[in-house]
Amino acid sequence: MKLIRSSCLGFCILALALLMGAVAHAQAPVAAPPAAAAAAAPPPSAATAELAAAAAKAPATADLAKGDPGGTITGTISDVPVSDSKTGLTLPDVAGQVGQNKIAINFVWTLVTGFLVMFMQAGFAMVESGLCRVKNANHTYMMNFFVYTCGLFAYWILGFAIQMGGAAGNGNLGGLQSLSSEHTLSLFGKTWGLFGQTGYFLSGHTYDVGVMVIFLFQMVFMDTALTIVTGACAERWKFLAFCVSSTIMGAITYPLYANWAWGAGWLSQLGANVGLGHGYCDFAGSGVVHAVGGLTAMAVCFIVGPRIGKFNRDGSSNPIIGHDISAVLIGCFILAFGWFGFNPGSTLGASAAGNLRIGSIAVDTMLAGCTGTLGAILFMWMKNGKVDASMSGNGLLAGLVAITAPSGFVSATSSCIIGLIAGVLVCLSCSFVENVLKLDDPVGAISVHGTNGLWGVLSVGLFADGTSNYGGGWNGVTGSVTGLFYGDASQLAAQLVGISTLIGFVFTFSFVLNLVLEYFVGQRVSIETEVAGLDLPEMGQLGYPEFVFKPEPDVLLHAEHAYTAA
Amino acid sequence: MAANRSQGSYYTLLLVSATVFCAGIAYLEGGSGKLMLVIGAAGLLASLFGMLKIKTLEGKTALKPGPGAMKLTGAGVCALGWLITLVGMHITPSTGGRIVLALVGIGVSLLGMLVILPAAFNKNAVWKS
Repeated sequence: MKLIRSSCLGFCILALALLMGAVAHAQAPVAAPPAAAAAAAPPPSAATAELAAAAAKAPATADLAKGDPGGTITGTISDVPVSDSKTGLTLPDVAGQVGQNKIAINFVWTLVTGFLVMFMQAGFAMVESGLCRVKNANHTYMMNFFVYTCGLFAYWILGFAIQMGGAAGNGNLGGLQSLSSEHTLSLFGKTWGLFGQTGYFLSGHTYDVGVMVIFLFQMVFMDTALTIVTGACAERWKFLAFCVSSTIMGAITYPLYANWAWGAGWLSQLGANVGLGHGYCDFAGSGVVHAVGGLTAMAVCFIVGPRIGKFNRDGSSNPIIGHDISAVLIGCFILAFGWFGFNPGSTLGASAAGNLRIGSIAVDTMLAGCTGTLGAILFMWMKNGKVDASMSGNGLLAGLVAITAPSGFVSATSSCIIGLIAGVLVCLSCSFVENVLKLDDPVGAISVHGTNGLWGVLSVGLFADGTSNYGGGWNGVTGSVTGLFYGDASQLAAQLVGISTLIGFVFTFSFVLNLVLEYFVGQRVSIETEVAGLDLPEMGQLGYPEFVFKPEPDVLLHAEHAYTAA
Repeated sequence: MAANRSQGSYYTLLLVSATVFCAGIAYLEGGSGKLMLVIGAAGLLASLFGMLKIKTLEGKTALKPGPGAMKLTGAGVCALGWLITLVGMHITPSTGGRIVLALVGIGVSLLGMLVILPAAFNKNAVWKS
């Protein structure tokens, strides 16, 4: 016992001594440079002398203490950090600060635009819920709420690594060099990227400031794609099935296609590998975000089936009116506001590398939304004699979806044309989906995001005018992206390969995946739940508990009675 | 059956298992990574079969089973169109040829998506009865 006690005492004394030694070492003054070395230092250059003179003229502390109401003396040469106080401000100090300023501007730009895109979730929630019946309001809001959480979690553990794990080399955000591992396949003598392999849990070398910025920005894009599906399958999608399906989409489906387009994958290499223009170009995600969301929505819509009472025996359809058109239109405005993050933010920077085009991108976005609304309003007005409010909102969104891919490459006039076509297209597509395919899409998500996402991807290959210059090239191909109407048919070919991949791969993959989930989980709620409304059975609470529900229209009531009796 | 505790439990198991599985992928080179991968995969399977077990409690849905083979054919034709486009990129070097083959591929995919699949799902659609 005595031996143990003395050993412990000895150990403590030793530890204390080591600790004191470490503290003393840490506090020891830094050794002065040898006199010989100081003498050998080069004489100050003309630039350094000039910088010293400028620093001497900078406002003194006493001047700043008086306040600066005009903002003329705040932020001067005195604010540039000096690496060595003895030598004062040098040219490398200034150059270093300029470089960090560029990255700082780009970080702030990308983060703030990412925050705008995140806010679009609120817009989606309002649009989708407003277009549903009041008995399903809580359920629809909750799907839009929870998709943010489950999507983000899935993206953090797996999706980001698949999408961006091999996306090193972005100069706007400091290089992102830790995202350097892309799984590739050698085919026909060329190397093709398939999926990324670094960035799981944002751990290891990807614990990096630049990686965090790109994670946030890409994550909110992914979540936008996920929330498209909830609208198309609203009012009958089982919450558990929605949770599992969305988690898988955030972890695998979306990231895979996003890698191919944006993360050094094979679609982006079509230009460098086989000479198809600049490879597949999708500036902000008409294809990556909206078509992936819209086509997945279509795949799930097939499986989950139409709502009770939507179609009659002869195949004709009944309108099922949403409960709050004001929420729909306000939601559309929120989405249009968020789109200024979506498109201009996709430069991933505001400084250097041609990023000043953000002004043009923002205006293109605004104009396409305008002409999309015009197209839908005028088309419906001429067709039905009334302005259809929900279709007007869809027209705005269709124009915005369509301009998302080409916004970085086209002129203001082209964006107007693209938006106008999108506005008409969404009306035609909604009618086709409902009356020909017999798909029940309560919010028109398949047409807004799927059809117009594909139109947006195609329009890059037609309207890109060859004036953009994002650091001198795109997807590793020198020069500007140029479409068919401006002389480069090969860009159109690249876009068509992208469209084929969206329909042939993304749709099929989503369809098979959700068919498997249908087997294991079951995608649809029971007839009793559907007739009662999903709020109470699925959520345990009504969206509007103090409302007196108006009875359903006769045609829906009859259908509900028939299904319940059967 | 509405939402219930079993659903919550099995979804929680799915999320935890997916996390362990992905940690396994991230650290696959080490022994612990392989172990996590196996544990995660087992958990994922357990959660799926758990969901399958409680699926029958859901009650009758407003769906009728359609022809499964036709559904898979639709999906297959859809994927075939994509393969035509991919092969077309390599069998001809001309831009015009590639555009034509890409359009053919898209057309085939659309046939699967807009003709075969709707026919499969609407054949026994519950609203027809």
